[in-house]
Amino acid sequence: MPGPITIFSARKIITMDPAVEEATHIAVRDGIILELGTLDECAVWGPYTLDDRFGDSILVPGLIESHAHLLDGLLWAKAEYVGPIDRRDPSGKLHKALKSVPALVERLKEIEASISTPEAPLIGWGVDPSLNDLVGPITRHDLDQVSKTRPIFLLHASCHLAYVNSATLDLANYAAIKAPGVLRDASGVPTGELQEMAAMMAAIKAVASDLVGASTDTEPFFNFAKVAQARGATTIVDGGGSTYFEPAFLQAALAATGSPDFPVRIVAHNNGITVPKVEDMIAAATSLRDKGNDKLAFQGIKILVDGSNQGFTGRLRAPGYLRTGANGLWNRAPEELVWIVSAMHVAGMQIVAHCNADQASEAFIEAVAAAQAEKPRADHRHFIVHGQLLDESQLRRMAALGISATLFSNHMYYWGDFHRTHTFGAFRAAAMNPAATALRLGLVVAAHSDTPVSPVDPLLTMWAAVNRVTTTGRVQGPRERVSAYEGLRMMTYNAAWLLHRDHEIGSLRVGKRADFTVLGDDPLAVEPMAIKDVPVLATILGGRVFPVAG
Amino acid sequence: MNIPVTVIGGYLGAGKTTLLNRLLADPQGVKFAVVVNDFGSVNIDAALIASREGETISLTNGCVCCSIGDNLALALHDLAERPDGPEHIVIEASGVADPARIADYAASHPRLFLDGIVVVADAETVCKRVHDKYVGDLVRDQLAAADVIVLSKTDLVDADVCRQVREWIATEVPGARIVAAPRAGQVAGFMLSGATDSTMPRPRPDAEHARQFTTWSFVRRQTLDGDALRAAIAALPAAVVRAKGIVRLAEAPDRRFVLQLVGRRWSLEPELDGAQEALASGSSTIVCIGLTDQLDPEGLEALFAPTPVGGVPPDARALLEGEAGA
Repeated sequence: MPGPITIFSARKIITMDPAVEEATHIAVRDGIILELGTLDECAVWGPYTLDDRFGDSILVPGLIESHAHLLDGLLWAKAEYVGPIDRRDPSGKLHKALKSVPALVERLKEIEASISTPEAPLIGWGVDPSLNDLVGPITRHDLDQVSKTRPIFLLHASCHLAYVNSATLDLANYAAIKAPGVLRDASGVPTGELQEMAAMMAAIKAVASDLVGASTDTEPFFNFAKVAQARGATTIVDGGGSTYFEPAFLQAALAATGSPDFPVRIVAHNNGITVPKVEDMIAAATSLRDKGNDKLAFQGIKILVDGSNQGFTGRLRAPGYLRTGANGLWNRAPEELVWIVSAMHVAGMQIVAHCNADQASEAFIEAVAAAQAEKPRADHRHFIVHGQLLDESQLRRMAALGISATLFSNHMYYWGDFHRTHTFGAFRAAAMNPAATALRLGLVVAAHSDTPVSPVDPLLTMWAAVNRVTTTGRVQGPRERVSAYEGLRMMTYNAAWLLHRDHEIGSLRVGKRADFTVLGDDPLAVEPMAIKDVPVLATILGGRVFPVAG
Repeated sequence: MNIPVTVIGGYLGAGKTTLLNRLLADPQGVKFAVVVNDFGSVNIDAALIASREGETISLTNGCVCCSIGDNLALALHDLAERPDGPEHIVIEASGVADPARIADYAASHPRLFLDGIVVVADAETVCKRVHDKYVGDLVRDQLAAADVIVLSKTDLVDADVCRQVREWIATEVPGARIVAAPRAGQVAGFMLSGATDSTMPRPRPDAEHARQFTTWSFVRRQTLDGDALRAAIAALPAAVVRAKGIVRLAEAPDRRFVLQLVGRRWSLEPELDGAQEALASGSSTIVCIGLTDQLDPEGLEALFAPTPVGGVPPDARALLEGEAGA
């Protein structure tokens, strides 16, 4: 027995489907789109309830965050956000950017004053002095101004560094820890900056143990979902580090996503990051295939090929990193990649490969070429995550082999200036995330935030791909800008295609899921630079309305 | 007692696992903890397994094998804080890791210290690998990080090629200490013995080992001159790949110092408390293990000859007098 019909009205409904590009009404039944068009066209299905609360708004297909990490939700649960980028927390509260050390210290003092237990540590996240107005180190002296007795631990946005105060240094006995990542001043005293895990672990174990080890709470899932939903996302990817193959973790994931109040769909990549052997990855992915629910699905196996560009650990082709010529780190040896990719490809899996810099992409492309020679497969939809320095010849090979990508378009905005001056130099900074060339060559590319690395905000990501502007206003690689329509398609249909879900979501078409994002303005009609400021009013997931506060 | 940490590095397939297997099968009385990326690659004899719990396999010979999981630091800190912890930790670095970076983890906990970095290089392929567009720089970095290079699979190349490889490594890594072995496991026991405070290194009893390695000892009842000793250690020939000493120095005659040498890396530090009774005599003892075909005992004698100074430390004198009286 079919359920009741609801017809939503809107100022304009943008379908991203060429059959009917625009409409004013959309009929929904049982979570599925029944009809799209005028009210009369929708009404032919029979009795309905008209919901016209969005009658003055714009409806677009539910926005899709194609690469993000559940870690975002864990950080919101366990630590205070104190970074140099504006972010909204799961309750919708805006945390203004702290772009100087004094501003950071002032904010930490406020937080400190609000903690009632005297010995409880103050844990912060999101710090990144490279994005401060005045780039400079953070030291124990700065943090000692906040408290000399309460341990303070601030995690860098990259998660590769931490800053601690004297209380933490003492508690964790840093006098006896000789790891070179423990920076020391001229007199040999630790400065408070801890670089890499070998230097950070003693402090983490002493004061911030919540940040390591898998949480089996549902709270991180809700946080992850709420932050993304507030920015209009209806589907988000959990990008591969989570341990869904562990029963307790899966149970928490199912409990969270099984709640009717859970506001997004999660598509989780299977873990090929902390699982060393490819047979185990394939076995886990196979066993999880049918274990999801309406809002949790497992798709693709995620592997890491290299590191991060801003951390100088992405693998670059010649001439390497700016000035030094150094190169980054492999997470999987290219020859190991050949057999891992082959095993997954032959087993019918979809491979999702983190390749940040161009040599990593090259190794992956070659591995897929070998696998395709071994067993030709159509429509495998293997894709590269980040692919920041892909060039036209790599993109052409990808097109020929059926490989696609989700690009890190936010990077151009947040780190475009940094890459120009510190990692890549002018030319390669302008060449980052070449979305226009990829689309021109027929690749179905999307774009992503990689939260917690940058904030999850699909309209901002679209805006970044459309404008390619840095925080200082420089436009880098203008020919690689995409149109607003293409940008919206990257955040909807193309992302759905990468996730093997374009038959269900990603555009508005009769028979697809009723997942919409409700906007205060038309992102295809506003000035391109205003796209990121288009208000998100609500999301609709399977026909159910989830309002956005504010 | 602090725990020495040895890092075993080297590219994929070089023979790291062979070395670890040999170590776990015959630990010569030392409680090793071996930290690996993947249990599957370590072929532990089922009869040796006492129990398995999560990321740790306990062996009947007192050793444990732990998988890194997603956090090496966490795995090491857990080992360092166990009440019945290991005497020596060996980390198998991944084939694409820079062992120098992994060695940083040995300094991540107050109870751990770095004993040395052993890098296994495949004699058959190493020279080709350094020209690989993807991993050439990595393989060079791995060799450069090594305190000792174990050149494995030497039986798969002819003698000329083996010599060329050794010469090439010597140019690539100045001062490199190279131990050649058809199977990397053959040199495991000696490379890793004597790292704990109370033990001296000893060659394994098997004949093949005896052919390859020679032990040379230096024992003096006098205290040694610290500067002369440091100069002698710094001038040790590449044939010496492992040394351990417990010595008295004139600069601080009331305590003992421990010399640890793994290839190019060495330290001479005051002995930590608790180990005082390990060697009863007040004499200074240094044991060097070197390559039989290269070690020159007379050269070593000459090198260490200037180190003793006159005085016999007071407690040693008492000991000697006791001996005389008996």
